[in-house]
Amino acid sequence: MTESVVATRGLRVDFDERAVLHDVNLHVLEGEVVSLLGANGSGKSTLVRAIVGLVPAAAGEITLFGQPLATFRDWSRIGYVPQRATAAAGVPATVREVVASGRLSRRRLFRPATRADRAAVDHAIELVGLADRASDTVANLSGGQQQRVLIARAAAGEPDLLVLDEPNAGVDRGSQEAFARALRTFVASGRTVLLVLHEMGPLAPLIDRGVMLDGGRIVRDGALPATAGAGVPDHLDDHETGLFG
Amino acid sequence: MSLLDYDFMQRALIAAFLTGLAAPAVGTYLVQRRLALMGDGVGHVALTGVAVGLLTGWAPVWTAVAVAVAGAIAIELVRAYGRASADVALAMLFYGGIAGGVLLTGLAGSTAATLNTYLFGSITTVSAADLWVVAVLAVVVIVLAVGLAPQLFAVCQDEEFARVTGLPVRVYGVLIAVMAAVTVAVAMRTVGLLLVSALMVVPVATAQQFTRGFRASFVLALVLGVVPSLAGVVFSYHVDVAPGASIVVIALAGFVISWPVGSMVRRHRNRHRPSDDPRVTGEHVTTGTHPHRHDATCGHPAVEHGDHTDYLHDGHLHAAHGQHYDEH
Repeated sequence: MTESVVATRGLRVDFDERAVLHDVNLHVLEGEVVSLLGANGSGKSTLVRAIVGLVPAAAGEITLFGQPLATFRDWSRIGYVPQRATAAAGVPATVREVVASGRLSRRRLFRPATRADRAAVDHAIELVGLADRASDTVANLSGGQQQRVLIARAAAGEPDLLVLDEPNAGVDRGSQEAFARALRTFVASGRTVLLVLHEMGPLAPLIDRGVMLDGGRIVRDGALPATAGAGVPDHLDDHETGLFG
Repeated sequence: MSLLDYDFMQRALIAAFLTGLAAPAVGTYLVQRRLALMGDGVGHVALTGVAVGLLTGWAPVWTAVAVAVAGAIAIELVRAYGRASADVALAMLFYGGIAGGVLLTGLAGSTAATLNTYLFGSITTVSAADLWVVAVLAVVVIVLAVGLAPQLFAVCQDEEFARVTGLPVRVYGVLIAVMAAVTVAVAMRTVGLLLVSALMVVPVATAQQFTRGFRASFVLALVLGVVPSLAGVVFSYHVDVAPGASIVVIALAGFVISWPVGSMVRRHRNRHRPSDDPRVTGEHVTTGTHPHRHDATCGHPAVEHGDHTDYLHDGHLHAAHGQHYDEH
């Protein structure tokens, strides 16, 4: 039987006492690649942030790998790629240092990194095609390359579920291809992906199912047609749901 | 007679050495977290702690630790839970710290000169008892800063990501604040409460001129913290000025010198940038000798890639191309 990896039931999320998600029921099964689609402000980012526990649920329940989120402790099974303009902080850090922080869910306190930790970090850097830049400062990389650093950081923990929040936003074509390749490798090993996409780009053929949100509700949930992205629009423009929608 | 023959100078130099290590160690995390001014705020609050000591007759170093830790935790909680008004709340905490300190010192009947030795340091006032406290606290701070480096780095680099890896982010945030508070108390006899923040921030800023990575910045910042601390104490021995002022001026001079040198180093480094991995830009890269034949039954996981199939082989995607396989 295929395991349920992510499930939300009757999920509601409020910001400042205004509901931004209403009664969301989302199910992601093991091995699926599911994309959340929708216009800006439709609630797709909020939904993934609630699923990984960054935003509290006002009502309803969330389970990860069958465990309620409140008691879920197996964080090494989840690789999260937040939506970020940059991977840099106030002090310079190399690509390898940032990617290595993705291993922390598997490391113990006051212990040095093991050989397996270092190998996983090397592999994750190679996966996104940045092996030649591993000891460069992340701040010196292009926006797309920095995004790939964040993806490598999530992959370094060898998670069973990858959650990505708009990994393609503002990313150059070369980095989109690099990302599609990393994702293909990840999917080929039978693991699960939940991602928020504004436009599908080169990822369309990888996606099993699209979940469309509008105004904080799921308005469509189903397989994408085999002809990549022809039936379901890549994204909803605001006017489609406007006055004459 | 050499300056090392004086007991008070030996104690002052040991205290300066430990302060020069602890302040940039904590400071690196504060700068990385973009909280460079936190040390300043904690220093202001600690002044009230010193005054409590003067008023009650308890050792000022302990009352300073207690009040600074309380203030630092308050700052961190306002930062973590507060909203738009957080900076105003912090500002009020700083003013309250200074005003409370001056008020209580006055009530205790101490003079402005006494207060000055805490604000800007004083090499003649490090007692043997003080030195023990300073040494133990500084060693604890340094051990935590080094031993928990992977976790603290992750929390300061990207708090949300750290939370999703299961790290108790709030606990680490409070830990960094407490380490900053303890460092302030450690540093008050050498650089003083008003200038301790400079010793947390300036060595880190100077180190960044030359380094590419976090670990290198951290190590270099410790060196750049120790050198001005020792030099500043020696300078105050020869010229009767508050050691805090000479330490910070020397540290700043180091930054001013390093700036043009650092930008030259960076320009040289950026001249030859390696190009992107060819596999990700879609160029034709063949696998090495590949005796294995991939097909639907070979057991390697397969994934559709446009008009063909890629096979996952040892962490690489392989696609058939004529008589050989390509890396995809």
